[in-house]
Amino acid sequence: MSRYKKGIIASFEYLDDFCSVIKSIKGKPEFLGHEIYSPTSYHELMEIAEDSMGPSPVRWFTLIGALTGVTAGFGMCLLLDYDWPIVVGGKTAGIYSLPAYFIFGFEVMVLLGAIATILGMLVMGRLPNPRSWVLHPRITDDRFVIFVPDVADDGEEAQLLKEFGAEEVYGV
Amino acid sequence: MSDLVAWDKTISDVNEGILVGLKKPHPSFYVALSISVLCLIIGAICWAIEITYGMGTTGLNNPVYWGVLITDFVFWVGIGHAGTLISAILFLFRAKWRNSINRSAEAMTVFAVITAGLFPLIHVGRVWVAAYWMLPLPNTNNVWVNFRSPLMWDVFAISTYLTVSLLFWYMGLVPDLASMRDRVTGYKRIVFNFMSFGWTGSLRQWHHYEAGYGFLAALATPLVLSVHSIVSWDFAMSMQPGWHTTIFPPYFVAGAILSGCAMVYTLVLPLRWMFRLEGFIRKEHLDCLLKLTLLTSTIVAYAYGIEFFVAWYSGNEYEWAIFQKRAVGPYAFYFWVMVACNCIFPMAFWSRRLRANTAVCFIVCLLVNVGMWFERYNIIVSSLVEDFLPSAWGHYEPTWIEMGITLGSFGWFFTWLLIFCRFFPLVSMSELKLIMPKPLRKKSEGH
Repeated sequence: MSRYKKGIIASFEYLDDFCSVIKSIKGKPEFLGHEIYSPTSYHELMEIAEDSMGPSPVRWFTLIGALTGVTAGFGMCLLLDYDWPIVVGGKTAGIYSLPAYFIFGFEVMVLLGAIATILGMLVMGRLPNPRSWVLHPRITDDRFVIFVPDVADDGEEAQLLKEFGAEEVYGV
Repeated sequence: MSDLVAWDKTISDVNEGILVGLKKPHPSFYVALSISVLCLIIGAICWAIEITYGMGTTGLNNPVYWGVLITDFVFWVGIGHAGTLISAILFLFRAKWRNSINRSAEAMTVFAVITAGLFPLIHVGRVWVAAYWMLPLPNTNNVWVNFRSPLMWDVFAISTYLTVSLLFWYMGLVPDLASMRDRVTGYKRIVFNFMSFGWTGSLRQWHHYEAGYGFLAALATPLVLSVHSIVSWDFAMSMQPGWHTTIFPPYFVAGAILSGCAMVYTLVLPLRWMFRLEGFIRKEHLDCLLKLTLLTSTIVAYAYGIEFFVAWYSGNEYEWAIFQKRAVGPYAFYFWVMVACNCIFPMAFWSRRLRANTAVCFIVCLLVNVGMWFERYNIIVSSLVEDFLPSAWGHYEPTWIEMGITLGSFGWFFTWLLIFCRFFPLVSMSELKLIMPKPLRKKSEGH
């Protein structure tokens, strides 16, 4: 997403330094549009994400997928039993075994709910993104990184990041 | 739980330590792969013979219309249980120790369920028409499948379980595939970037990933419990003595988790040695797995006892006769092997000293797997041989074709698992970092 942007990259070794800097630059206009990268989903960072982005809309994907699934599961059984009734025990056609159809409603609910959840994770995370730019080779290893767009590597912003413990700050 | 682990590594050691092992596994890996492929070939030949000459090559007869092939099916579905239990249920319970073994358990689940899915196809004989019996596909007679049949419930349960387990497993792999991408160049980088969907590790991605992972776990949890319950209804919904009992769903689920946990241990122990993962899959984590095995073993032992009690207490003489014959009849050998392997040997895990002895634990877990296979054989065969009509009683012994196919299923399972381990990390690197000491400056300076 930052492929064509210019700015500075600051990498941090320590999580507490990183969390401090994120909290301190929050709302500052010179850091507007900054992006945060982490090797894993530390609880501290997830709290920051929750504060800044709110609850993830992935839950709506899950809900819609699950409701579609339960409808499709029950609907399939009702429709196909209507199309070809299986008369059991002398009971007339048109009597539907809803307790048995519960299994299909449940299974298709889980199936479509799970598929919709994955779609939600991908859509909201802006994935797939084959043209993604790997800002720093150690983000997926052990480094925490901030990208600040439209600032110079010798400016006040870079200085502030160094003061907070950035191990390297450089322009791109 | 993992807070008690005395880690001698930091998160900076994780990617290097795990991915270096992938490049050059221990030579025993290739020996294991060769044996697996050989077993697979034997199984494929046996299946080819069965297809060519028909179901008469098996020992199936009237009244024993289900035998070793359905035993294998139930066994492999059961093995597939522990993966999603460890991934989903233990995730929701915040059991940190699962982070070091969840990837291997998930891989085991996926390949075990794929293996299980082969057996209904093998069992029906004419595999090329099986799709019309098992799925609601339009056909020339416009006759649909029977949605009131537990066998149809099973088709939907197993296929949903396989799909959801695959999705869960692959989503867990995405951040690790990105880690692999960032360590290579050239065409490998393009391939890993494609496979990881271009994952960057941004906070936005983690935020939605974590939310989605939680929802997937919440969806998978009732699914885990439902799948083996539905498999148990294949039996319990019939009127067959020995099958028609309400205890079957929880009894099957407990048995499945027992066999799954034992299989995870049986697999992880050699694999962590082959890929030099001892520093990441710690003995403390394996200890927790053994405790879970012990817990489920006691539940299974209780279920065996209650099953006998209910058979006696119900006053149903057919039911009680089946249970008496299980213990002292022609299939008593299978019964007592089952009891010994599933209820007695795992009691060794009460001892901390024995839990620390990997050789003992490996053998016990192997025996639990044997016992669980015998349990399914015992349930299926000993009930079918003698039902309400003495004139219809029969006997069943598996043929070498059926045993060859069983051996082949192990070959099939291990071949895929070993190929996976050769190319992808056996430990979830991004999740492992979460249970290791956090990289904190305060802590670092404190030292």
